[in-house]
Amino acid sequence: MRISKGGLLVIMAFLTPLIVELRTVLSWFGIRLSVVETGALGLALIVAVLIWAMWPSNGDTEAKLA
Amino acid sequence: MAMRNAYIDQFPEEARVIRAALWSSFLALMIGGTLGLIQGLHRTNVLRFIPSQDYYTVLTAHGVLLVITFTIFFLVGIFTWAVTTSLDRGVKDIRFTWGWYAMMSLGTLLVGVSILGGVVDQIPMNADVLYTFYSPFQAHPAFYVGFVLFVVGTWLAGFDWFRTWWAWKKDNPDERIPLPTFMALTTMLFWYLSSIGVAISILAFLLPWSLGIIDSVNPLLTRTLFWFFGHPVVYFWLMPAYMLWYTMLPKLSGGKLFSDPLARVVFVLFLILSTPVGIHHQYLDPGIAEGFKFIAMTNTMFLLLPSLLTAFTVVASMEHGARQRGGEGYLSWLKALPWRDPAFTGMALAGLMFAAGGFSGMINAGLSINYLVHNSWWVVGHFHLTVGTAVALTFMAASYWFIPQLTGKEIWNRSLGLVQVVLWFIGMTFMSNAMHRAGLFGIPRRTAEPQYEGFSFDPAVGTVAEIDAQVALGAALLTLSVYLFITNMVLTTIGGSTSDAIPDNTYAGTLSGPEDSPAIIDNLKLWTSIAVVLVIIAYSLPLASIIDAGGLFGPGIDPWKPSVVVDPSLVLESVRGVMP
Amino acid sequence: MNIHTYEKTWLAVAMVLIVGFIATITYGAVGPGIAMIDDDGGTIDPDTINDDERFSDPGVTHVGGNEYEAAVVAQAWAYTPSEITVPANSTVTFYVTSRDVTHSYTVAGTNVNTMVVPGQVSEMTVEFDEPGEYGILCNEYCGAYHHTMEGKLNVVPEDEFDLTELSTEAPDEAQLGNQTTINTTVSNDMNYDLETTATLEIGNQTVEQDQTVEQDQTVEQDVTVPAHGSETLEFAVDTTDFGTGDHDWTVTVDGHEGSGTLTVTNATEGGDGDA
Ligand code: HEM
Ligand SMILES: [Cu+2]
Ligand SMILES: [Cu+2]
Repeated sequence: MRISKGGLLVIMAFLTPLIVELRTVLSWFGIRLSVVETGALGLALIVAVLIWAMWPSNGDTEAKLA
Repeated sequence: MAMRNAYIDQFPEEARVIRAALWSSFLALMIGGTLGLIQGLHRTNVLRFIPSQDYYTVLTAHGVLLVITFTIFFLVGIFTWAVTTSLDRGVKDIRFTWGWYAMMSLGTLLVGVSILGGVVDQIPMNADVLYTFYSPFQAHPAFYVGFVLFVVGTWLAGFDWFRTWWAWKKDNPDERIPLPTFMALTTMLFWYLSSIGVAISILAFLLPWSLGIIDSVNPLLTRTLFWFFGHPVVYFWLMPAYMLWYTMLPKLSGGKLFSDPLARVVFVLFLILSTPVGIHHQYLDPGIAEGFKFIAMTNTMFLLLPSLLTAFTVVASMEHGARQRGGEGYLSWLKALPWRDPAFTGMALAGLMFAAGGFSGMINAGLSINYLVHNSWWVVGHFHLTVGTAVALTFMAASYWFIPQLTGKEIWNRSLGLVQVVLWFIGMTFMSNAMHRAGLFGIPRRTAEPQYEGFSFDPAVGTVAEIDAQVALGAALLTLSVYLFITNMVLTTIGGSTSDAIPDNTYAGTLSGPEDSPAIIDNLKLWTSIAVVLVIIAYSLPLASIIDAGGLFGPGIDPWKPSVVVDPSLVLESVRGVMP
Repeated sequence: MNIHTYEKTWLAVAMVLIVGFIATITYGAVGPGIAMIDDDGGTIDPDTINDDERFSDPGVTHVGGNEYEAAVVAQAWAYTPSEITVPANSTVTFYVTSRDVTHSYTVAGTNVNTMVVPGQVSEMTVEFDEPGEYGILCNEYCGAYHHTMEGKLNVVPEDEFDLTELSTEAPDEAQLGNQTTINTTVSNDMNYDLETTATLEIGNQTVEQDQTVEQDQTVEQDVTVPAHGSETLEFAVDTTDFGTGDHDWTVTVDGHEGSGTLTVTNATEGGDGDA
């Protein structure tokens, strides 16, 4: 784990406004994501974050952080 | 056995009053949150199980319970903690303290029962007037009396803190006011100043009018007096949250407050600038000259300053805390913060949402763009980010630290607490994003069925159905979050076992202490006088011209009791009847 | 006072931001001349609305050039008139007041939006460039059926717009052989005289016994309706020409129509003769 479970939960939570607002902003530029597309994008981001978090980190500096 | 030094060990008597205040606050949150879900589902037509006429009873209760009862009961609890802890002395007479608590509770009860009369036939009262109670709507006198009792209760609470401070000053003539006390006192000063507005509105006009002593009021005058109080009350909700961000968040992050002097400057700015801005809620009101609206707008923009300074200090203090905990790098220090602690995470998320809310608030404050968003759902989206999250989530998060202090018990389930604050953040993201967007294409606030016969809304992006679904989803997550919070608090209080591991009752130290600021910053008389002068400048002319044009008691305005529920088709008949 | 350099920088940035905001907004408000709601509308006693010059007959009137005025009375839970029609490329000043509680007058999704406070008159000037249809709604809580309070705003192409109104008054019945009149009142709310022609058409369809009269009759009259005034025309009709039965008639003025039916009866069948 690169970060604590708590940190991971918070990052996942951050994805919500990121996706919701990204969708709003994109639509101003004429790019309209459907609800399903948005959901898929969200899922992809969650998976990406999970992989990043689970990837064994090279040092042990971070492991001891809360 | 290790000596525990939690608040309950230091001030057992005060801890009982604070617990009572916090529980009053939580109860209001639970009921209010439930009503919020009913509203969210009703408006969006996802689920309608009350008649639309009763929607306004529900909305009145939601507004009053959340922005008056929930927030202010929490405030009096937390300020009592702040004053006693930072002065290291108890209140002068605990019976007096219970006295103001009882008065606030009685007031709440009266207001609550009169609102409940809107849906319960057995209660011969009605107060479907929303929390702004604009005349010529006329509520039952009990509503006004209850409101006054509640506000006077807060005045007495302030007096309680002031005299505790006076007693302390006698013993410590040369010391600077400790920061938490300084914050509580400056907040109370602008509260005294601004609640005069609503006191005059009720005592001189609305109450005698509802009792039949006078038979007309000037709607624009009572409305202006309401907003004289109505904007500062926003900062009254916010100041305890700011206090927690300044005094608790740095500590929870593992560090110290960046700057004590700057924190004082911020609170002084709020004392000076909170009141002469209320007219920014009346940009669209007739009967108020444009110049007065400009003055309010300018003052409002300067009021951004203390909030921008707060953003800086809070982030800087968090970074300091993270580095104390071994955090490094430009951004990777973020990882070192105690994200598993619901008190920390809740407050940090609340602060982040406040930044978004502040952004939409700047839009509201713009004189001309306000015409687009005024009274639309945009505004509801805005204040659910500010009072509904920056304040409410900070209070919930802080409770994870305070309830152990006040009960001597560990939180029943801290992980659940973390899930709860995160859930609030997610739910509010959905709800407020949809509300903001809905407002831009014209969906109004305070409307049971925003679906019209002669036209439909035309969203630039997406569909109304999608917006509705997003609101309903957000509302459901938020309500779930409220229940998780309440469950945790109840089980902590009644189920949890007393623990010796409760941390000591302290607040954050400072990197740069009060000695770095000139003593004049602590001169409360000076700042209060400046605040009074600014209020006189901003309000005397508008009030005079409103009274001059419409009369002190208005041009023969008949009271309107919302209880008279009529069939709208009959009303249309009567419209045709009165038209020549 | 000891202020950290970062803090000073931030303070400066914040001040620049704030002053920038104020400047932008001031420019936005003063520059392009978006009119604010202020105290220009004056005050009014709600009980005198029916006697008020402007509000006793609410609706749109022409001021001159492309300028119009619209007077609207709000009351729980309707606007009078509920529908407003104005031409494109016009400047319309709205005057809105309330008979009872506080309402709003809001054109959904636009910045045409004002509070309507009893005792006050909201004055709001709006420029309409393009034709379009808009919803009007009340966004201030005004009682149990607040959510039903709505109206409509139509901005029509200039050449489809006028402020001519027509009302007709005629007896329903007349005895065969009598004279009767169809009165037509034409009102004109433009700021100039309306010169036009009024046309009456009576078409005959009904048959009684063996007698059938197939006769269409058209009568024309030239008329000048003064600015903000009205003119009443009398069309004299001689029933001898028609015979008994139902006769539909239509009065047309400037594209507006009024119609009715005149029943001609035999003298013995009753009916109240000439009107
Ligand atoms: C469970 C969480 C909540 C939900 C689902 C919720 C939902 C809603 C909804 C849908 C409205 C819009 C009503 C309308 O415009 O017709 C509303 C209004 C409002 N909410 Fe909430 N809300 C919640 C929590 C809060 C909190 C925590 C606060 C403040 C501390 C708050 C303060 C208000 C206020 C002041 C209004 C406006 C009342 C009025 O217009 O008179 N809400 N809420
Ligand atoms: Cu405000
Ligand atoms: Cu209304």
